[in-house]
Amino acid sequence: MFMHDSTVASAAVIFGLNPMWYAAILFILTYVVIMTERINRAIVALLAAGLMIFGGVLNQEAAIRGVDFNTIGLLIGMMVIVAITRQSGVFQYLAIWSAKKVDASPWGILAMLSVVTAVLSALLDNVTTVLLIVPIALLITEELKVSAYPYLFSMIVFSNIGGTATLIGDPPNIMIGSALGLTFNDFVLNTAPVIMIVLLATLIPIYLIWGRHLKAAAEDRQRVMDFNEREAITDASLLKKCLAVIAAVIMGFVFAHALGLEAATVALFGAAALLLLQCWPHGADDQSKHVTEAFTEVEWITIFFFVGLFIVVHGLDSTGLLKLLADHLLALTGGDLTATAMTILWSSAVLSAFVDNIPFVATMIPLIKAMAPTFGGPEGLMPLWWALSLGACLGGNGTLIGASANLVVAGFAERAGQPIRFVPFLLMAFPMMLMSIAISTVYLYWRYL
Amino acid sequence: MTAKTLMNPNPMTLSPSDTVAIAADRILQHHLRHLPVVDAQGHYLGTFSVYSLLKLTLPKAVLDKHGLDNVSFVTEHVAHLAQRFGGRRDEPVTNWLNIHEVAHPETPAMEIMLLMLHGRTTSVPVVNKENGRLEGIVSFWDVLEKVRGENA
Repeated sequence: MFMHDSTVASAAVIFGLNPMWYAAILFILTYVVIMTERINRAIVALLAAGLMIFGGVLNQEAAIRGVDFNTIGLLIGMMVIVAITRQSGVFQYLAIWSAKKVDASPWGILAMLSVVTAVLSALLDNVTTVLLIVPIALLITEELKVSAYPYLFSMIVFSNIGGTATLIGDPPNIMIGSALGLTFNDFVLNTAPVIMIVLLATLIPIYLIWGRHLKAAAEDRQRVMDFNEREAITDASLLKKCLAVIAAVIMGFVFAHALGLEAATVALFGAAALLLLQCWPHGADDQSKHVTEAFTEVEWITIFFFVGLFIVVHGLDSTGLLKLLADHLLALTGGDLTATAMTILWSSAVLSAFVDNIPFVATMIPLIKAMAPTFGGPEGLMPLWWALSLGACLGGNGTLIGASANLVVAGFAERAGQPIRFVPFLLMAFPMMLMSIAISTVYLYWRYL
Repeated sequence: MTAKTLMNPNPMTLSPSDTVAIAADRILQHHLRHLPVVDAQGHYLGTFSVYSLLKLTLPKAVLDKHGLDNVSFVTEHVAHLAQRFGGRRDEPVTNWLNIHEVAHPETPAMEIMLLMLHGRTTSVPVVNKENGRLEGIVSFWDVLEKVRGENA
């Protein structure tokens, strides 16, 4: 902190501004520019991080300390594992298998693909999940001659619901888990139970609105039944290696805490082990081809967005502004834990429906941490963390721009000639999102408050 | 040598209102691979090709840029493919155009050959730079004949 004080002084020299003001203005500008989507978000975050340093709020050393490398490592590790695994065709296999399990009935497939999307989103990144499942859904709806709209709508909704269930399912959980040292099991025990209820509850309106009206001719259903899912597996030997590594990585997450390991170590070690299994015993040329392919699939835009954002938020935090905001929020809720948790849950849900939940959660983490003294130390804050996780992840379902997976699915829908428009989506999805938050409210109240 | 000296100045063309069925007939009848589509004023709009016909018989889920790259699990009969094609035969050709790289009358021969190689196409439309009108088409065969002629 003493070091910050000395660097903070230089901000006043360079810009003639109070460092708190400088950091706050820069932070708000960063948010606004990210929201306009006129400039790539990675560029915005990195430029803003640089300006935090140039302005003297942080020096480079302090900025690097602000980056949560556990989040970054976990993201990269999982992205590499998924990039290799998807080449095996196993996700298509799973989707086709599930469609055939329900005799290719249109509602059965809608429900099955929703559940598959939720489960995969819990274990993989949401965007990756929809990129894998949506093409299969489009093919099946084309064969069944039914509208793809309910299917694509459900993929969006269930990818966000499923992602909330685990530590690795959605970036907000990765950030919260990493900042607090929460484990995979913590999320399985605390967010997953309510997500099961939300999942089942959300299937009801989807059935009432679309599911019960869906009909397909017997011969078209037969065409889907004739799909041979075994043919979807393009590389059986790679598949075995991938499944073994994924199983080991998940076990690693479960036991990470007991072994004194962090999630990034497990994920990156798993990625390296899978690369080894894939490359061995190929020659040098093939090896570098495989490694390059896997590394290219890492979403560097997301990674650098995180890096920049962590630095910007750390800069803001170091000026003491977030502590001030936390005090104001506590004054509003009268320091009452229930009121604070509900405020966090509902405001993060509504905000995450319109703004990117990654910068929002990055900002909320230090803000909530600053509340620890009021609630009797870090342990007392747990209900607030679950409120933040549920609100920020489920809130992504509120609008078409609430999460990146939503936009990816909308892109597919547009190209397939069955576009998902902003307002019609909002009218259906926003109430469903509010329902999930209402369920979360009851759950939080009953379990923690 | 330039596009102007290599091209066929009177290629067979389609108009934007022509249907997929008409285009398919012409392609199969004349064994052509590429039919440029031009409007009433002669502006080049795109090319309807054998690849357009291939696309027509495939599900949209396969054609998407993030679509399936392996569909060996689909066991369709020719009848199903024909059914899909049949459902699209009355659509205008403009729904299925490929936008190729075009040459201009003054484009040199070597550049045209490179366009063919990189674009995996056997013919290149020649379009007037100023008014966007189709002036002709250079086919792979035109180029080859010229090259062989020089050697004879």
